[in-house]
Amino acid sequence: MSRALAGLRVLDLSGPLGNYCGKLFGDLGADVILIEPPEGTALRREPPFVDDKVDIEASLPFAYANTSKRGIVLDLEQERDREVFRRLADTADLVIETFRPGTMSAWGLDYATLSARNPRLVMTSITPFGQTGPYAQYVAEDIIGMAMGGLLYLGGYPDTPPITSYGNQAYAAANLYGATASMMALLAAEQTGTGEHVDVSMQESVVMALETAAQFYDLEGTVKKRWGGKQRHAGTGVFPCKDGYIYFMAGGVGGNRFWRLSCDWFEEEGVPGAEQFREERWFTHEFLGTDEAKKIFADIFIPFARRYTMEELYRKGQEKHVPIAPVSTPADLLTNPQLRHRGFFTEMTHPLRAEPFLAPGAPYQLSTTPWAIARPAPKLGEHTAEVLAELDLHAGGRPAAGAGVR
Amino acid sequence: MAGRRPLEGIRVTDFTWIGAGSFATKMLADAGADVIKIESSERLDSLRVAPPFKDKIKGVNRSGYFSDRNTSKRSFALNLKNPRSRDIVLKLVEKSDVVANNFTPGVMERLGLDYASIREVKPDIVYLSMSMQGSTGPHSRYLGYGLTIGALSGLHHLSGLPDRLPAGTGTNYPDHMPNPCHAVFAVLAALRHRRRTGEGQYIDIAQTEPTIALLAPAVLDYTVNGRVATRSGNDRPGVAPHGVYPVAGSDRWIAIAVTDDRQWAALVNVLGQPDWARSDRWSTAADRYRDRSDLDRLLGQETARRDGEELMSALQSAGVPAGLVRDAADLIDRDPQLAHRGHWVKLNHAEMGETIYNAPPYRFSKSRVELRTPAPLLGEHTREVLQELLGIGAEEGEALIREGVLV
Repeated sequence: MSRALAGLRVLDLSGPLGNYCGKLFGDLGADVILIEPPEGTALRREPPFVDDKVDIEASLPFAYANTSKRGIVLDLEQERDREVFRRLADTADLVIETFRPGTMSAWGLDYATLSARNPRLVMTSITPFGQTGPYAQYVAEDIIGMAMGGLLYLGGYPDTPPITSYGNQAYAAANLYGATASMMALLAAEQTGTGEHVDVSMQESVVMALETAAQFYDLEGTVKKRWGGKQRHAGTGVFPCKDGYIYFMAGGVGGNRFWRLSCDWFEEEGVPGAEQFREERWFTHEFLGTDEAKKIFADIFIPFARRYTMEELYRKGQEKHVPIAPVSTPADLLTNPQLRHRGFFTEMTHPLRAEPFLAPGAPYQLSTTPWAIARPAPKLGEHTAEVLAELDLHAGGRPAAGAGVR
Repeated sequence: MAGRRPLEGIRVTDFTWIGAGSFATKMLADAGADVIKIESSERLDSLRVAPPFKDKIKGVNRSGYFSDRNTSKRSFALNLKNPRSRDIVLKLVEKSDVVANNFTPGVMERLGLDYASIREVKPDIVYLSMSMQGSTGPHSRYLGYGLTIGALSGLHHLSGLPDRLPAGTGTNYPDHMPNPCHAVFAVLAALRHRRRTGEGQYIDIAQTEPTIALLAPAVLDYTVNGRVATRSGNDRPGVAPHGVYPVAGSDRWIAIAVTDDRQWAALVNVLGQPDWARSDRWSTAADRYRDRSDLDRLLGQETARRDGEELMSALQSAGVPAGLVRDAADLIDRDPQLAHRGHWVKLNHAEMGETIYNAPPYRFSKSRVELRTPAPLLGEHTREVLQELLGIGAEEGEALIREGVLV
């Protein structure tokens, strides 16, 4: 099988801010080596765990974000292991690191040092706020990135404090922008023979996801706020139905045909009161934004929606070409006929489970160079001896892989 | 930044519109690709008429939403419904490396611009398709936006409070991060493969799937442990305090995450060792997490009296992860870190004048990655592209405009 990133070697020194970035490279065929400290990367402590057993070999977020990697342990507090890392970096195309700015430099592993030995090397540093600046030394967890990037302010309900999104999305943003920037730098390095240092900020990565909040402030002087649980404008929001919730965007975004199509749908269903939606005022942003419009819409639409299941409303609405979708639970995803048709969920194995289980699979289908998991996430230090042997180094005189841990 | 642009020499014939697609090709454009946006006044990119508008005056060249997602691109006006358009597109494709679209499956086929047709004129093309549901399957013709994708993918269900309606992120989130970033990564990987082997390929993205990939822990909790996760506010299992606390002012908040006992001790110190906080009741993470609702209330009473900036600074100096819940005005007017990084870039747009744009969230030590130009006016580069790339002279070009082809 042809792999898009064959021949690239990636050293992943990271944790929550970079392990998914490394995974993207590994699943497209790069040789990714996860380098962990003796106690393991921080992601190994992230729940949920296999059978809820709190153990560094049982974290599911770790297992997911580290597929297709080999794993070695290096104690970078020790000069001996730092030298091993330098030797390894001589063979690499990309280093992903997420230490506090200045750490790599204090260890003598900064970009200048590594690139002097290996000019084609790209190093991507993914940190909460970037390499320099007044907050460069600030410490941050995901929720801090969500807060300082402005996305947290938009989440939650008008009558509650801001509420973050599920799934460590600030880390995700940093990982993903780290991955795209790394690929850009690698393409350049392969053409010019010269690598470079890429500096990615989690805060800035989150700011990219603010939709129009910055532009509303800049162009209209308004500060966007959270609106969860309400209609964003009439016809757009979560509505209860027979067996759960659906998300409906009767008016779509911008100028389009959807409001009219929604009217056609309601008319065909004989929804009482829906004829008024054809009145001119319902075609203006101004009116749709009023409490009056939202109330009228809810009073007319919800009694109709409550008669049907999520699946029925999804099918009926989509047959009329209106943007409507079920509010899926994780269990719903596994039975979603479209995702099943695409074979999106893929079998993953784990040393703590006898049988394989399903996990999110290819986020993109590449016809010639398919995505594939090459191997499950490594146990702590699983490939230390193998990788050192490839470098003509021996584990002798070094602590055995994972020794003393747990 | 005097360096080379990493995607210099890459040309994209860009049929993407609205959110995720336009954002993806913008990232390529900011990195130096020549992205030629195919659009038409006959069927507007609906983001062009999505608010906010400069001075609140609606117009196809006045949307801030559109502008931010279309920097560094050229706009080529072409009415795809006109039968003469296809030949013009194919000429452009011959000179392109990537063709991108995020239409519902069937649209490019009807236009005769599907992968098979494009490959006939440009065998090594990298063809990106990023519809909502993917190119085949029972729901492949279903349509939606980022918010419905957020619902369908599980993100909406998982975000908010357990006893309230699902709240989601408050945005069309999948459009702004998961989908464009995964799409760009895939395109760049495919370009690398092409450079090494001469082979192009077809990339099929279903816009639900990159978002589900980011929700893997919830999927795995179900497939491995049989648990259907639900929304849990700002809770993080085993970690307390973890959440958002009021500070002085109206609707002002600070996020605090205490992940170990040392940080707890530091937090208590910064708060001036109040009596309630010195109690043994909070000495271990397990204790703090068990009684977190009391802890959150007590901590909130403490923080509510304080100035947010001062509290953040004091907590960070003590090594406690803390950050203010910034709103858009804070980020633009008062965030010294974003200012230091030059995140907000002012560009002078032909119709909107000087407005702000997001810079890419990464800095390269050598390459030039930057906003080269503001969003194009609709059809701004039609004549330029005709002459430079298609060899169609001014006279013929004007005729094509008059006849409703290049509009």
